This record gives sequence, C-alpha cells and structure tokens, in this order.
Amino acid sequence: MRKVFQIALGILAAIGGFVDIGDLVFNVEAGATLGYQLLWVIVVGVVGIIVYSEMCGRVAAVSNRPVFDAIRERLGFGVGFGALVASQIVNLMTLAAEVGGVALALELLSGLPYRVLIALGVAALAVVIWVAPFEWIERIFGYGGLALLVFAVAAIKLHPDWGAVATGLVPHGTSSDKLVYAYFTVGLLGAAMTPYEVYFYSSGVVEEGWTPKDLGLNRANAIIGYSLGGTLSLALMIGAAALYQPLGVEPAFIGTVALGAQVPLGTIGLLLTLVGILFAVGGAAIDTCFSGAYNMAQFFGWEWGKQRRPAGAPRFTLAWIVLLALALLVIMTGVDPVLVTEYAVIFSVVALPLTYIPILLVANDRAYMGRYVNGRAANAFGLLYLVVILLVSITAIPLMIVTHQGQG
Amino acid sequence: MRFSDILGADVATESGHTLGRVHDLRADRTARTLKITGLVVGTAGLFERLGIGAPVWGPRIRTRDVVPWSAVVRADSRRIVVRDDAAERR
Amino acid sequence: MSARETLDLGLGLLDHQLVDCEGRRCGNVDDLELEGFQDGEPRVAAILVGPPVWRGRGRLGRLAALITPGGTVRVPWAEVEKIDGAVHLRKTARELRLGRGDDRARKWVEWIPGS
Repeated sequence: MRKVFQIALGILAAIGGFVDIGDLVFNVEAGATLGYQLLWVIVVGVVGIIVYSEMCGRVAAVSNRPVFDAIRERLGFGVGFGALVASQIVNLMTLAAEVGGVALALELLSGLPYRVLIALGVAALAVVIWVAPFEWIERIFGYGGLALLVFAVAAIKLHPDWGAVATGLVPHGTSSDKLVYAYFTVGLLGAAMTPYEVYFYSSGVVEEGWTPKDLGLNRANAIIGYSLGGTLSLALMIGAAALYQPLGVEPAFIGTVALGAQVPLGTIGLLLTLVGILFAVGGAAIDTCFSGAYNMAQFFGWEWGKQRRPAGAPRFTLAWIVLLALALLVIMTGVDPVLVTEYAVIFSVVALPLTYIPILLVANDRAYMGRYVNGRAANAFGLLYLVVILLVSITAIPLMIVTHQGQG
Repeated sequence: MRFSDILGADVATESGHTLGRVHDLRADRTARTLKITGLVVGTAGLFERLGIGAPVWGPRIRTRDVVPWSAVVRADSRRIVVRDDAAERR
Repeated sequence: MSARETLDLGLGLLDHQLVDCEGRRCGNVDDLELEGFQDGEPRVAAILVGPPVWRGRGRLGRLAALITPGGTVRVPWAEVEKIDGAVHLRKTARELRLGRGDDRARKWVEWIPGS
C-alpha cells in the first residue's frame, strides 16, 4: 500500500513539474494562432519525452552513468565539449526565461516592482536549493504546479469546440499558413522534449543509486507522469484556442495566460493559475540550474550531487550558483522573458541531436547495458524520434526567421 | 607517446597496402601492468569513429578488425606498419 | 590469482571517471601515456589528467585547454585498483594530487552556513 502511495506521489510531482515556461508560451500561442489544429503535436512531444527519458534513465540505472558521462565517453572530448557548450548556452537562456517567468508571476500576485522581484525570486530559489533536501524540492514545486489543473477546468468551462479538439488530436495538414504551422510544430516539440529535464532526471537516477531493479518503476513513473502532465499542455492549448483565437488575440504576456482561467472562473481561477505558474516555472528553474551544474561536473569529472553537500562538491555548487547569477543578469537587462523563452526553446531544439544521439548509441551498446540494451520496440521508437529530432533541429531556425517567430 | 597521438594514425602493410586507421588499442591487464596486445583498425568513416560497428538497422558490417600486436613491424604517432600476412586475415 | 582482463583503451578507459579509494570522484582519464614501443613490449605507463592534456584531444580540446587553468597530473598505472564503468584508484585523491580544483574551490563555499 505504501508503495502505491509513493508511486502516486511521484506521479503527482511529475504532473505538476511537467509544465515549464516554454510549454506555457508555446502551447498558448499555438492555441491562439492556430486553434485546436496542433493538439496532435503535444501528443507526439509527450511520447518523445517518454522515449528519451526512459532511455536516459535506463542508461543511468544500468551503467551508473548520467548523460554527460556517456556523451564524453562515447563521442570523445572534442564533440563532448561542443555538446557541453551548446547545452550550457541553452540552459542559461532557459533559466533566464524561467527566472523572468517567476518574477512576472510574483509581480502579478504581489504588485511589487518586476526588477525587485527578479532579485527576490532568484534569492528565494537559491535558498531553497541550499537548504531543502532533494525530495522536498521536487514535492513542493510539483504539488504547487498542480494548481495549473485549474486551467483544465477553465478550458472545459469555456465550451471549446470538442469536434475540433478531436480533429486536432489527429495529425493533419492545414489550410492556414503552412510555415507558421510548421514553426509552431517545431516549437511545441521543443517545449515538450526539454533536454534539461533529461539531464536532471538521469543525474537523479545515479544520485539515488537506482539499479536495474528500479527500471520497471522508472518506466511506469515516466509514462504515467509525463502523459498526465501532457494533458496539462493540452488544456493550455484548448483553453487558449477557446478564449483567444476567436478574438484574434496574441497573448504576449504571461498575465494574459492567467486571464484564460479568470474569464470562466473568476479571481480564484486567476490566483490558482498564477500560483501554479509560479511553482511550475520555479521548479523548472531549479531543474535547469542543476542540469547546467550536472553537465559541467560530469563532463570534467568533478565531484557532483546534492547528496555530497556543498562543501563536498565545491565546483558543482559554484557552477549552479554562477548559472543562477548569470540568468539574473540576463533578465535584469529588461529583455522580454517571453522572447527569451521562444529563443531558448528554438535553440534547445537545434542542440537536441547532440545529446540525443549519444544516448541512443549508448543504449544500444552491450558493453554498457548488458541485457538491458535497447529492444526492438525501444529502437523502433528511438530511431523514429531520431528522425523527428533531426528534421526539427534543421528546420527550427529557418522557420523562426521566415515566420518572424510565428507572427507570419 | 600518448594514446591520443596514436589514435587515427594510418595503418599499412609493409608492401604499402593501406588497411585503415587506428581506432583503438586492445590491451590485457595483469597484476601491475596493462600490456597492449592488439591494434583495432577501421575505416575513417564518421560512423565507425562513433563506434557504430554493427548498426541494429542494417547488415552486420565488420568495420573493425583487431590485428595482434605481434604483427606490428614499426609504430610511431603517424603511421603503423604491419606485416603483410596480417592483411590476409581481413 | 587475478583473472586476465581484456579491454579496449579508447572504449573502456579513455574519458572514463576516476574514483579514489574513498569513493571520491577526482577527474576523468584525459589521456594515456604509452611506452615500450622500442623494446617491443608496448604498455600503458600512466593515466594523464588535467587541462594541458586536452591539447591532444582535437581542436576543441585545444580551445578548452586554452581557457582552463590547471596543471597536468600523472597517475602511474600501478595506482589503478579496478576498472568497471569507472577507473578505481588505490590511494586517495589527495595523495595522487587529483581533485585539486575542488580543494581550491572549497574555500569559496565552506564559509556559507549549511555547507
């Protein structure tokens, strides 16, 4: 019974932790611009992140190597260093966007000035990371993020066109601007298949000392957690499609996202959405921040991990502190967090092959994996998504330029 | 000489026939030493360098071969020369 | 009576994690020093660790070496205890002069309460 309870808690945390600022921005913009047409892309993205993180989790549990250990060992120093630099640039952009999102949510909740809240928000995140044990962090931010479920309720209350929803869940072409359609497809996939989540997860697997025995649980957790989390993304798009598309409104502010819940549900809806955004994005900020530190430490062979205590892993600790400080500086310049989010998601899509391909290789390597090597199903999905990722990676920047970030 | 120096060096037979490049070195570990016992030779392709010896989606291509070190005539960081009969085993 | 282990240097040794006798992570195998080619008994003499060693690891290795401070540490092969996914060493990192980056960085962190 206790095991079931534990699993349920883990899944709840995963749902609340699924949505980050990239999902908020892209799902809502896609819904406002193209209505229900891209719902199927969310499904493809959720399956993609399940495939990716299951492989990374399995590699970490069996070979005791998190992602960047595997990347350096398999591809060598040169390519690994390139992947490290690319992933750190993306991590920094993502973290800056998330810090901005936290500050915006705080501003809407408190009315205090934005710049003050950036500093306060970063300070609060740093304190939480320093003081709170790992599991607590995941729990607090995971459960807090569940408040976003109010968006699902709001979406239903807005009386969306359920017929169009059904059609949108099936892959199809479009009669509207094909390039804009393609751009949002790429962006949505990028927002769903966030690499920092995978680095974080695989490092956690090694830190917690998972073994092949835990693999079944790993798989179940991933599938159920991400799937249910994906329904939050669906709710975001459906709500935006019901509310904004008929009005032709482009929600350029995070606040407008919260409006999506206020219209049908009043102040409670608004408050819960803002709280949900605060925790979901705040939790994502912590994950991203740690991912950056994990990547550096693992690539260079430093000691790493929350369990080692800060003084036991000094360079690792300094790495996440410096990353947080740099993100603070970036967002303090006044750059629009939504803009930073869009760039972060697109650039993360471009860099995705660099970290996906080595994992696919290692997952197929019997020397590392023994009998837990990829089976036919895992490889079928793994290769399918390799094609998807390569396609998306190559077309992302051209599409972003040609469609002016989806404005058409 | 460092391992990184010898990686990628050309491997050819005494009579000049090119076998490929050094992909790796095989070694045997005893109590206190690690003795090099073989030369892993392969083509210079990208896939081979990434260690994709037998792609799961294609035929089992033998892109890597181990030449026993006893067949090596000379070795420096640019070129390794092996006996002619080492080539016949491929 | 120890079993003979066969391994490939590139796949099984290079770029793998170094772990000292206390379980502390203390660097990666950045390169290997080979010797004995003249006397026909080629063998691995030592593990090489440190930013200057990256110069031999390609163009990006040279770039990384340029921007990273630190010296080279030579770990004689006899110090290796066991090889599984990582390379386990017989002595502590301190005795082998590894992990000094972390030792230097520690003073930046340990003054903060709760570290």
